[in-house]
Amino acid sequence: MINKKILLALSICIALLSACQYDNFDEPDSTLKGSVVYDGQAVGVRTNGPRLELWQDGYALKKAIPVYIAQDGTFSARLFKGQYKLVRKADAPWLAQLSDTIIVDVKGTTNYDVEVTPYFSIKNEKYEKSGDNIKATFTIDKVVNSANLTAVNIYFGKGFLTDHNRNDAKIGVNLSEITDGKEVTITATIPEHLKNENYLYLRIGAQSNASSEYCYSPSHKISLK
Amino acid sequence: MKNKILLFILIACSLAACNDNKWLKEDPKNIITDEQTWNDPKLITSLLANYYDRLPHLHGVFYTGGMTEIDDAMWSGHRDQNWRNEIEYGNDYGRYWDYGLVRDINLALENIDTYSVSLSEQQKNRFKGELRFIRAFVYFEMVKRMGGVPIVTTQLIYSGNGDPSPLQVARSKEHEVYDFIYEELEAVKEHLKDNNTSQTRANYYTALALESRAMLYAASTAKYNSLLPTPIALEGQEVGIPVEKATDYYKKSLEASKEIIASSRFDLYSKNADKGENFYEMLNKKTDEVIFAKDFKSGIKTHHFSYENIVKSLTDDNESSSTISPSLSLVESFDYLNGEKGALKYKDADNKYIVYNSISGIFDNKDARLYGTVIYAGTTFRGSAVNIQAGVAEWDGSKYVLTTGANLGDRYTDGGLWTGFDGPRDNAQDVSNTGFYLRKMVSDAVAASSRGTAADNWWPWFRLGEIYLNATEAAFELNDASAIGYINKLREVHGGFAANSLTTLSLEKIQNERRVELAFEDHRYFDLKRWRIAHLVWDGTETNADAVVHGIYPYRIVRAGHADDGKFLYNKIRPTRFKKPRFFRMANYYSSIADDVLNNNPKLVKNPFH
Repeated sequence: MINKKILLALSICIALLSACQYDNFDEPDSTLKGSVVYDGQAVGVRTNGPRLELWQDGYALKKAIPVYIAQDGTFSARLFKGQYKLVRKADAPWLAQLSDTIIVDVKGTTNYDVEVTPYFSIKNEKYEKSGDNIKATFTIDKVVNSANLTAVNIYFGKGFLTDHNRNDAKIGVNLSEITDGKEVTITATIPEHLKNENYLYLRIGAQSNASSEYCYSPSHKISLK
Repeated sequence: MKNKILLFILIACSLAACNDNKWLKEDPKNIITDEQTWNDPKLITSLLANYYDRLPHLHGVFYTGGMTEIDDAMWSGHRDQNWRNEIEYGNDYGRYWDYGLVRDINLALENIDTYSVSLSEQQKNRFKGELRFIRAFVYFEMVKRMGGVPIVTTQLIYSGNGDPSPLQVARSKEHEVYDFIYEELEAVKEHLKDNNTSQTRANYYTALALESRAMLYAASTAKYNSLLPTPIALEGQEVGIPVEKATDYYKKSLEASKEIIASSRFDLYSKNADKGENFYEMLNKKTDEVIFAKDFKSGIKTHHFSYENIVKSLTDDNESSSTISPSLSLVESFDYLNGEKGALKYKDADNKYIVYNSISGIFDNKDARLYGTVIYAGTTFRGSAVNIQAGVAEWDGSKYVLTTGANLGDRYTDGGLWTGFDGPRDNAQDVSNTGFYLRKMVSDAVAASSRGTAADNWWPWFRLGEIYLNATEAAFELNDASAIGYINKLREVHGGFAANSLTTLSLEKIQNERRVELAFEDHRYFDLKRWRIAHLVWDGTETNADAVVHGIYPYRIVRAGHADDGKFLYNKIRPTRFKKPRFFRMANYYSSIADDVLNNNPKLVKNPFH
């Protein structure tokens, strides 16, 4: 008798538990991948800084899906299959294009590079170590005519993620040394506290008066020993 | 059968007779009707108390956590809130959109008109004036955080016809909201004169004080936004006040400030001859410095500010204490009495420690408000000496070796104190991490730091010191020669400076004075915003002394046989618990509007950067 009761209770429990499902939705299975590019090159940004926004039409309520951009300018987002609108927001080192919406069809793994218009672009950067100095050669191009250069810095970092807010040392470049579109060479002394590192990451950042965010060259590893 | 019919007739008759019988009619005991509410001054007053209690703030009303989210302090309380030491101001930081409160006020205003029959016209006007003052205060809080918001002054009632668009009010221009606030205050201030003896209800002077502050915000926002390389603005001016309006706003602010000062209704507090104690007493007691306060009363309505922030060894409770650790940059913003800038001198030109005879020596001859604002080594609180000492500095023949005891209160091998009961100690909980404790507004009343009794000192919404600074700034911007008089008077009475201590004035000087005088009173975040320097002061870089909270620790020197033995030196530190420099982005100047609000009202335009 007791056994029967226990069996009955158990079978009810099993029936109830097996009836439970966590969710009646499948998880998103499509991926949107790409980079923010200018002139065919990814634009470097600050870690956890500028972001893109995705919107989807056809629903009563709207909510933006933030898409974070990695420091090397790449991004990826896991999404449901469908059509999305992509917005380039302000507070980034490029022109905000809020009304110039990009429509992206996401299905499976979709690669999409987002064209942006940075205020300035840094290219042809080269670094050379000589003794305790680093010789950095680069070219800064003005892309948006109304923008003015407000700061150019060379950043030293022990880690890959190096930018204006996260670095172990930064050296300001005198703006008078920089001519638009011309190659410049800056010699910077490696700071005392970084001299004994095995390697350092170097990055150049440029800020315009149109935005507080810097645009960056790719993080470059240089070995000191 | 006959009987039954008779019975039926009897019942029917008795029921019919009951009709209109008064003793069966009674007022419900659990419902207060509109007619009752709006004809009883006591009920209206208690309703008003609810609205006063809901007045908004960001880092104010003894909100310990908020006070540790800017550069004036770090969080040294329980570790579960250490995120405040690495806060990233999100796009929604400071978002405030309280149309629930606005609706309650609008409803109350309409109900007074509809239902109040037994109140005199004067009474009605006073209540309505108070409600409109609170509404103006709420709109001011919204405009300074969100920019221009929809101005709603009546109940919005849905007609049920399926079309919600009449309920969807578009945003007003930023300057229109400031104009609305000014007009409302001008309209009601005369009606509020009956409250003039109260410091906790809206009155004539409270209205002027809000005018003084709001108009200053409007003016400086207009001016300094226009000076940005790329001014923050929306096409429809929901954000962005035209710069030509600045002068008029400065004038309105100055006029209001002047009237408050000239009235002599309030005093710059100066009852205690000890200037440092005087500045503390000003907000510890309920004084005539305060124009408008949020009241607290022991046993009825208390707050836990003392419990959360009292010096570790002096707490009456068994938990918490020492949550706010004021920053070195705040301490250094207090000038020396001789007019010198306030940087502490702990190392000389050769990078050697400077030795002081007394543990508080490094703070000698500073602005007295420093003593009134923070507790540093060698001072007292509630009559007891605080026990602040980080450790000992022992001379090893060539340099000082700094060591700290394993436990607070430990003795060093020479028998003297090693580490004080109040620390400071790096990376510790419920003890100062910077070398400083908060004194301002931390009540020293009996058992105020216990949760059972708790504290009942006022929260100052407005006080005369601010009005003096508002007057200085507005006059300075208008090139009015009176500007310097106000700031000098304040420095003399509160800071203990000589009369006319400043001979020239600059905006930087005014900015620093506001930081010093109004620390922890919910001003700094908004001040930096309206001067458009928040993104420069809190630029998120490790090398910026304002973006990073630092501390300075006192050590006792152990150097037998040397003249410096038993004296003190100071060492600057970067607290371990402080993780990330403060970083204010351009997007933080105006908070984002919530998605559900945007969804509900397609007429709203988004703020810049969002």
